[in-house]
Amino acid sequence: MHLTTLILSSSLILVIAILIYPLLTTLNPNPQDQKWAITHVKTSVKAAFLMSLLPLMIFLDQGTETIITNWHWMNTAPFDINISFKFDHYSIIFTPIALYVTWSILEFASWYMHSDPLMNRFFKYLLLFLVAMILLVSANNMFQLFIGWEGVGIMSFLLIGWWYGRADANTAALQAVLYNRVGDIGLIMAMAWLAMNLNSWEIQQIFFLSKNFDMTLPLIGLILAATGKSAQFGLHPWLPSAMEGPTPVSALLHSSTMVVAGIFLLIRLHPLMENNNIALTTCLCLGALTTLFTAACALTQNDIKKIVAFSTSSQLGLMMVTIGLNQPQLAFLHICTHAFFKAMLFLCSGSIIHSLNDEQDIRKMGGLQNLMPMTSTCLTIGSLALTGTPFLAGFFSKDAIIEALNTSHLNAWALILTLIATSFTAVYSFRVVYFVTMGTPRFLPLSPINENNPSVINPIKRLAWGSIIAGLIITSSFLPSKTPIMSMPLTLKLAALLVTIIGLLTALELTAMTNKQFKITPTIPPHHFSNMLGYFPAIIHRLTPKLNLSLGQSIATQLIDQTWFEATGPKGVSSLQVKMAKTVSDAQQGMIKTYLTIFLLTTTIAILLATI
Amino acid sequence: MTPVHFSFCSAFILGLMGLTFHRTHLLSALLCLEGMMLSLFIALALWTLQFEMTGFSAAPMLLLAFSACEASAGLALLVATARTHGTDRLQNLNLLQC
Repeated sequence: MHLTTLILSSSLILVIAILIYPLLTTLNPNPQDQKWAITHVKTSVKAAFLMSLLPLMIFLDQGTETIITNWHWMNTAPFDINISFKFDHYSIIFTPIALYVTWSILEFASWYMHSDPLMNRFFKYLLLFLVAMILLVSANNMFQLFIGWEGVGIMSFLLIGWWYGRADANTAALQAVLYNRVGDIGLIMAMAWLAMNLNSWEIQQIFFLSKNFDMTLPLIGLILAATGKSAQFGLHPWLPSAMEGPTPVSALLHSSTMVVAGIFLLIRLHPLMENNNIALTTCLCLGALTTLFTAACALTQNDIKKIVAFSTSSQLGLMMVTIGLNQPQLAFLHICTHAFFKAMLFLCSGSIIHSLNDEQDIRKMGGLQNLMPMTSTCLTIGSLALTGTPFLAGFFSKDAIIEALNTSHLNAWALILTLIATSFTAVYSFRVVYFVTMGTPRFLPLSPINENNPSVINPIKRLAWGSIIAGLIITSSFLPSKTPIMSMPLTLKLAALLVTIIGLLTALELTAMTNKQFKITPTIPPHHFSNMLGYFPAIIHRLTPKLNLSLGQSIATQLIDQTWFEATGPKGVSSLQVKMAKTVSDAQQGMIKTYLTIFLLTTTIAILLATI
Repeated sequence: MTPVHFSFCSAFILGLMGLTFHRTHLLSALLCLEGMMLSLFIALALWTLQFEMTGFSAAPMLLLAFSACEASAGLALLVATARTHGTDRLQNLNLLQC
């Protein structure tokens, strides 16, 4: 076998094997030692990352992609299911990035969860999640993808509800599972359609056969699945609620890896969508609506983790818009760059939260620039990368997306929404940086502010380096498959930057007004709309269950118990009969013998007459 | 009349007389009712055989099923009488008219 493919395939399988090995060591009945999390899990992820750089370099050098089919798992008569890994452009690039981010998060988690007695289990759950995610991105058939999909959903549930003694955490975990389940309906519908009509779950066969079919129905199913998993509008409330989990969970699952699974599904199956305008328009408008709505909600939140969660949701909307623009590679680029700075923002938040003795409200932080210089610097770097500051990581993906949006001949409404959301990004990012790092301290004097632990500093520094140079490295290494439009008017070219600067200037003006009374009475309705998340959870989580439960109760009590059983059913029949029997039996006098004797006489005469 | 015809007619009339002229127990009336049903069953079966109407063969079964229902209704009445009046003796039934 050719040396290149041999190295590629064996190193990729080795990556997965290295990740699975610590999970297997937990299967023996002897308890692990205290340091198992650090010695086994973190080193295995680090080793897997270093190992996965080899396929990345081979792909960079020679453009080799590989499909590894290991095992024919099961079949019904015409339908086969194999275990099959597809390492193409997307999964070869995503795997090292995911492993790099996970390595940093695990190192951070060894500090963050230090006082937790079940830290080994926490790391095991994170590793299990990572394995499921790698399975998802490397799946070559829908069944394996579904296994990874469900795996990340279940691990999300277990990790969000890590502090299960807290009722809010249990509610949030349940919310995550239910909203993901609604999305799963779409995925299962798409899989069922594919199995029935194309008779295959292998991606190559699906691409080949889909030319002859009208793919609208499975595409709507896939978009629904992406809506659930990637928190698009309509199925979005679980993502801010998922901040109940520990910060490493938020950093890994709900910023870099799990929530991009929905977008990744659409990127993977993009050839099905290229020519279907209904699906593309749905993605475009849904993504635009999501990005604006969640950015608007982020403007008035006071919990630092919730602001970052909403910014994740907003960026996911932007990725959905990119898919609607028929640019899957740009969406993938944004996934990769977004992983770095979003994970870093979460890690900085975690460092701040722990240092201020578990304080998460930004109104009670302030002045941390001098007290936690490294963390606040990286927070600023992450925020700048998020807003698309030129030549940081976010710029390459975000600016490219907005340029593509500007020069496309598609929906102008989606464009306007996206631009407004981009300006909001600048506003809430500045709000976070202002409240956390600037001004005078608003926290208690004896806060245990200490960022001197290398387990905290090194991960954040690594991710900071990633946030700065990742965009440049990725764009300069890989050719785009669709030619970007290079010539456009100057205002369109600078549109993203202009809008961001306008947002930043507006935010600066607003902060200068905090000690002046511009209006006697504040404008309450927009603030309340934004702070209550658009009233979406308040309506949907209260009204719909209440209506359903009261409908169920009226069916059970009034329809079945009172109507069918009592008025028309058994009891109704018996009450009717009793009334009739009483009326009739009043007329009788009870001379049974007389009646029966006459009856006998009549019958005997009738029989005798009939026979003679 | 043929001998068979005579036998089930007389069985029917005897059962009817037993139902009519019952003296002491309600249960004996119910037993005579059962005898009437039995004679009717034999009559229906013989009708099918005599006139060779194979489509009518299910009729005796139908009669049996319905007679079982009626017998159970009669027994329920017996039990109810025994509950309220203590025995099924017929002179008890109009002892205390309410």
